[in-house]
Amino acid sequence: MNRIFLDVHALQTVPPSNLNRDDTGAPKTAVYGGVPRARVSSQAWKRATRTYFKDEHLLDASELGVRTKKIVEAVAGRITALDPSLAGETALRIADETVNAAGLKTEVPKRKAAAAKDGEPEPAPQSKYLVFLSARQLDGLARLAVEGAADITAYLKDKENKGRAKQIADTHHSVDIALFGRMVADDADINVDAAVQVAHAISVHRVENESDYYTAVDDENTDAETGAGMIGTVDFNSATLYRYAALGVHQLAANLGQSLRDDKPRTDPVRRAVEAFVHGFVASLPTGKINTFGHHTLPDAVIVKLRTTRPVSFVAAFEDPVRGEAGGYVREASERLAEYIPDIERAYGDDDSTLTWVLRVGPNTQKLAGIGTESENLVELVAAVGQTVAERLEKPA
Amino acid sequence: MSVLTLRLAGPLQSWGASARFARRTTESVPTKSGVIGMLAAAAGIERGDDDRLWPLAALRFGVRIDQPGTRVRDFQTAHHGVTGKSMPLSERFYLADAVFVAALEGDHPLLAELHAALRAPVYAPFLGRRSCPPSLPVELHLHDHGGLQDALREEPWQASPWYRKQFRGRDEVELTVLREADAHEQNAADTLRDQPLSFAAEHRRHTLRTQVTCSVPIPNPSARHLPRHDPFDALDEESA
Repeated sequence: MNRIFLDVHALQTVPPSNLNRDDTGAPKTAVYGGVPRARVSSQAWKRATRTYFKDEHLLDASELGVRTKKIVEAVAGRITALDPSLAGETALRIADETVNAAGLKTEVPKRKAAAAKDGEPEPAPQSKYLVFLSARQLDGLARLAVEGAADITAYLKDKENKGRAKQIADTHHSVDIALFGRMVADDADINVDAAVQVAHAISVHRVENESDYYTAVDDENTDAETGAGMIGTVDFNSATLYRYAALGVHQLAANLGQSLRDDKPRTDPVRRAVEAFVHGFVASLPTGKINTFGHHTLPDAVIVKLRTTRPVSFVAAFEDPVRGEAGGYVREASERLAEYIPDIERAYGDDDSTLTWVLRVGPNTQKLAGIGTESENLVELVAAVGQTVAERLEKPA
Repeated sequence: MSVLTLRLAGPLQSWGASARFARRTTESVPTKSGVIGMLAAAAGIERGDDDRLWPLAALRFGVRIDQPGTRVRDFQTAHHGVTGKSMPLSERFYLADAVFVAALEGDHPLLAELHAALRAPVYAPFLGRRSCPPSLPVELHLHDHGGLQDALREEPWQASPWYRKQFRGRDEVELTVLREADAHEQNAADTLRDQPLSFAAEHRRHTLRTQVTCSVPIPNPSARHLPRHDPFDALDEESA
């Protein structure tokens, strides 16, 4: 099997902040190497990454997924857009038959069906579960329905056409579904196993949460009533985080399916998804209390590895917490990584085909310059990684 | 019989045996279904391929607690993708800072195949939950001779240096081992529901297995031989 793993590592410093809090409002923590650390959960950073795709237009809305029970209505809407003569009841009927032919069972919701007896209009059928479908899957089903609109039942009885309906629903998963799988489980049948593993980010050093006591002034208070309008506390910490994610590119390719567009290379969807992921993961930031703390930062150092063996986390380099005595956490953490990476790769026989890219900022990360190809900026890094992944995928196993 | 030993170490691990819905707990040691699932994923066995899973599930399983770790509670919110409405809050539990040695006993060819699969996995291994990647490569050794208990006795102590420091006054440490019972031990054993039958997405099934708890003496590589009556001994330990 042609295995390609991509691992992304980042060192990122955040000032006093509360990116990701627990139920008491305090920033999340963990214990590692016997000392308390700041922690940002994987879920929080995955959400930030997904949101980034849309907000920064890294991916078109057509490449992202929609999660709904109302698939029949969604397909019907697209049918009408394709052929305005097919509208209303007709569009819903042919959409329903096509959706069912694709293997997604639908039914008229019982409660609403009962209402229909009292003269309300017959409601559209829905799927029993929330179904995550990509925009391209919905478009494909609509096109198929329009093709067979003359006599949809007879059209879908044809084995070949029915097979096409199934194939449409099984391929072209949206990029976010292919990367992260389904985020909240409702229905196991349509599960997509995530191609990405995102680890909880943890600080490379010991961190104790601190508490900010604040008072707020009531503007309408008279001199007679002295004292604060309200008082409270906000918990926070500041940290240099080690962030890690691993992407099974071969798994991503299987989840996405291959491009069926003749004008694009076969590996185009995978390349675009890989580029979006690397860019989104590196540049995104959980927005918890961002207006309180304004913790907008970007990583000081990013290392991307392309491997044919297995992904490797470098978190053990920080099991012994960084003390920051020799000029700050970033500098010491970079030195640790620069020593640790060649060491662990030698010990476990890392493959010769492994490629390394480095993106780094400032003199503190100088030690990392030697461990791979340096990229000038994030755009260049992302393009180089995407290009290489596409080339590797094209190569026969 | 051969035995494959694994090192399960990472900042976070989570091994659920009865976790459902909003409260996802973790056992205090890795579960058999979690470890078998990790091996199956490494070997590229698809979910629902019960025929290929079966020989793995039939391996005898044991685990040694090298560094017990501490329990961390994580609190998670989720929002509906379309409506933006809040979904039920969920609690997740993790073991932080723990190190285990797991062992699987069975036929040599299968274990050799799994050993190789861990070095070049189809699906990357994780410690019970996808967000918990191992901090070090998982595979340790393939022992050609002896049984489960022997392998768990021979494997050196995998605890971190900072943890071993606390035991430096001792030449040997007693590590707890939880392993599947032998035929004659059935009566003295606990039962656990983590013997995997199927990982098929639509119907995961587990059955009961038996487990005995014992301990093994392991040499302490960090042992420091102090003079017997060093008055600073106690102070040293306090500041460690």
